[in-house]
Amino acid sequence: MSAVHAIHAEWTKLRTVASTPWLLFAAVAVTVGISAMVTAGASSRTCPTPSICLDDLPRLGLTGAQYGQIFVVVLAVLVMSEEYTTRSITMSLAAVPRRWRLYLSKAAILTGVVVVVGSLGVLGALLAVRRLLPGTALSAANSDQSLSLADGPTLRAGYGTVLYLALVALLSYGVAAILRDTAGSIATMLLLLYVAPILTSIITDPAWLKRIEQFSPMLAGLKIQATTALDTLVIGPWQGLGVLALWAAGALLAGLLSLQLRDV
Amino acid sequence: MTATAHRAADTLPDVDRPSFARLMLSEWTKLRTVRRWTVALLAAPVLIILVGVLTASSSQPGALDSPLVGPDGTWVQDRFHFVHRPLTGDGTVTTRIASTTLEFSVPPEDGGDARARDVERTVWSKAGLMIKDGLRPGARYAAVMVTPGRGVRLQSNFTTDIAGPAAGAPTWLRLTRAGSTISAFQSADGLSWDPVGTVTVPGLPQTVEVGPFVTSPTATLLAQRQFGSIRLGQYPTTTRAVFERPTLEPAGAPGTGSGEPSDGWQDDEVDDSAVQAGTPPAPDRAGGKGPQAAPPPAVWAGDRLTLVGVGDIAPRTPGEDVIKQNLTGGYAGLMAIVAVAVLFVTAEYRRGMLRTTFAASPGRRRVLAAKALVVGAVAFVIGFTASVAVLLITQPIMRDNGFLPPVYPDWSLTDPTVSRAIVGTAAVLAAIAVFSLALGTVLRRAAGTVAAVIVLIVLPQLLASGLPPVAGQWLMRLTPAAGFTIQQTIPRYDHVPRICVPENGCVYDQPWAGFAVICAYALVTMAVALWAVQRRDA
Repeated sequence: MSAVHAIHAEWTKLRTVASTPWLLFAAVAVTVGISAMVTAGASSRTCPTPSICLDDLPRLGLTGAQYGQIFVVVLAVLVMSEEYTTRSITMSLAAVPRRWRLYLSKAAILTGVVVVVGSLGVLGALLAVRRLLPGTALSAANSDQSLSLADGPTLRAGYGTVLYLALVALLSYGVAAILRDTAGSIATMLLLLYVAPILTSIITDPAWLKRIEQFSPMLAGLKIQATTALDTLVIGPWQGLGVLALWAAGALLAGLLSLQLRDV
Repeated sequence: MTATAHRAADTLPDVDRPSFARLMLSEWTKLRTVRRWTVALLAAPVLIILVGVLTASSSQPGALDSPLVGPDGTWVQDRFHFVHRPLTGDGTVTTRIASTTLEFSVPPEDGGDARARDVERTVWSKAGLMIKDGLRPGARYAAVMVTPGRGVRLQSNFTTDIAGPAAGAPTWLRLTRAGSTISAFQSADGLSWDPVGTVTVPGLPQTVEVGPFVTSPTATLLAQRQFGSIRLGQYPTTTRAVFERPTLEPAGAPGTGSGEPSDGWQDDEVDDSAVQAGTPPAPDRAGGKGPQAAPPPAVWAGDRLTLVGVGDIAPRTPGEDVIKQNLTGGYAGLMAIVAVAVLFVTAEYRRGMLRTTFAASPGRRRVLAAKALVVGAVAFVIGFTASVAVLLITQPIMRDNGFLPPVYPDWSLTDPTVSRAIVGTAAVLAAIAVFSLALGTVLRRAAGTVAAVIVLIVLPQLLASGLPPVAGQWLMRLTPAAGFTIQQTIPRYDHVPRICVPENGCVYDQPWAGFAVICAYALVTMAVALWAVQRRDA
């Protein structure tokens, strides 16, 4: 079977599973909804000058991605783990005997779907926040920041968030290929993503804070959303996304090795 | 097999059913013989301990130079305006408080009148009579006072607070010393006296200072949230109180012998700000903008004494709850427990094994109850062992990092609050395990259930800090995330106002309230699961 056929087969599998549309819808809805909610709730009414408190409007407007990513994680895990749960992996490998080809076809389709859905979520969030903004206390202070995609840093935060979601999906996919278990993979991924922000909200030692922010896949990766005060970040936007990319590459490679070397 | 057949099987005589103990044994055997579940269950305590140790070794207290301590070693603040004279032996001091006036300013952009009412409602300004062991800040004392909106109170040694009649100025107050026992009285007319209460102040010396005092703290209110950080509104207040005819019996040594009502009374400000210098403001009840300027001296007009006071006489509590911090690993450990608890039932659905299980023991509800008990007990044991272990490991680390008394009092595992935090963590993990199992039974899908449980427990924690304070607080209160409230160990004083924000781990005032929420989730979901398992095909 050619690569095109393998990819087409994976696309058919993905789109015909009942849970896929729900997960995609939830990912977009949660990203947009929470971004809007958090922006509506933030206020800088009592700020002496905008530059002190109003640090980063595009980042605030994309907060929802931190929560929408859960559904991306679930989708990415299911793409691989359900093959094992339903034992359809034996049939898939009978059809595509080169295991790496099956593995990469799945990854390609997953990335494509997440990029489309992530873009919808990001655009929706920015549009919603732009519409909400005049009604919030932020509008008075934000004269020097816009949410227009014509603005360089905002554009980078926008497509960077899409890339972030795609990398989270690939990381989850790799973890699922290693663990071959739905519940275990989802729990592992959520642990990997969300324990770091809980830790940073508690600990006070600056050296440890810096370490966690630099190496946590979620905290480092989300630095791509930063648009102001870049010199104060412990890790730059692209370097941060690079850390997440390393995590994803490591998990993808380990997942591939696990598929190639182990019995299914 | 159909559901009807199962229901028919339920009516079989009891002899055909395995006993509940055997059911639990068979469920326990299932749980412990799946290797990856065992690995996950062992990962849970490891995660709890690792996260705890990481938290402990990477936490630092603020720079605390020489925090002021009260008679029992509690961290306190002690600043007030005191007009006093010595009393040797037993005696009685009496005065009438003609009026008290609270003065402060709220910038219009903070909300004007509504905000001003909040300040008046929150602030514990105090004016009354005090008996104190000298003028040293932190020394033993007992005081009767009027506190606007909260009536007459008798307080002693910072931590004791007794509510008296709901009277305010103008009113008569009286304080009587008999040895180390001090009684307070209140009267509307100066003739008939109502008792406010009696306190014992051990170690009070023969000669003490007695007289009128006034103090007025800085009100700390919640302002808006800004990009994940809380802004607190700090409103320093001043209280001006007018006392009439303060009298001490026996009068003791006269001053100049002039015969004036002010004769023999000395005017001093007891001020702890020199001692407290360098103390960072505690996030929950902060001094904020540095110490306030000293108030003007006392003014006598005939027998009327006008006294202006700033400061506060109260215990302080640290912003961080050391025990709760070191038990943070519960959030990491629960993810492994949730995964196993969910799989414990969904794996049986998925493989069709549940049909075999139900064939072996047709009482489906009993099977589910046995599963819940087994998984809950396992989670409890894991939580308990890991909590004890993590606290034993982190205690010396925290001490080395400078978390020392009086700000962070010493603790042992047998302290009621600490043992409540430990048993509470274990019980919360057990409740989460039962909740996961029940939700897994209802949804029958591992992916959805694991994601749903973790979203409900972990994400409110993160999202709450991005929402307006009230919305964030209700999010924390209504989701199972509230369960970890049971870990809080910082003492709460009813007579000390505090800011309750999710960042401080403050969800409910009562630690048990949060535990009740997670239990309610577990019980309701379990009830639905018991109903569903009977109604649906396996």
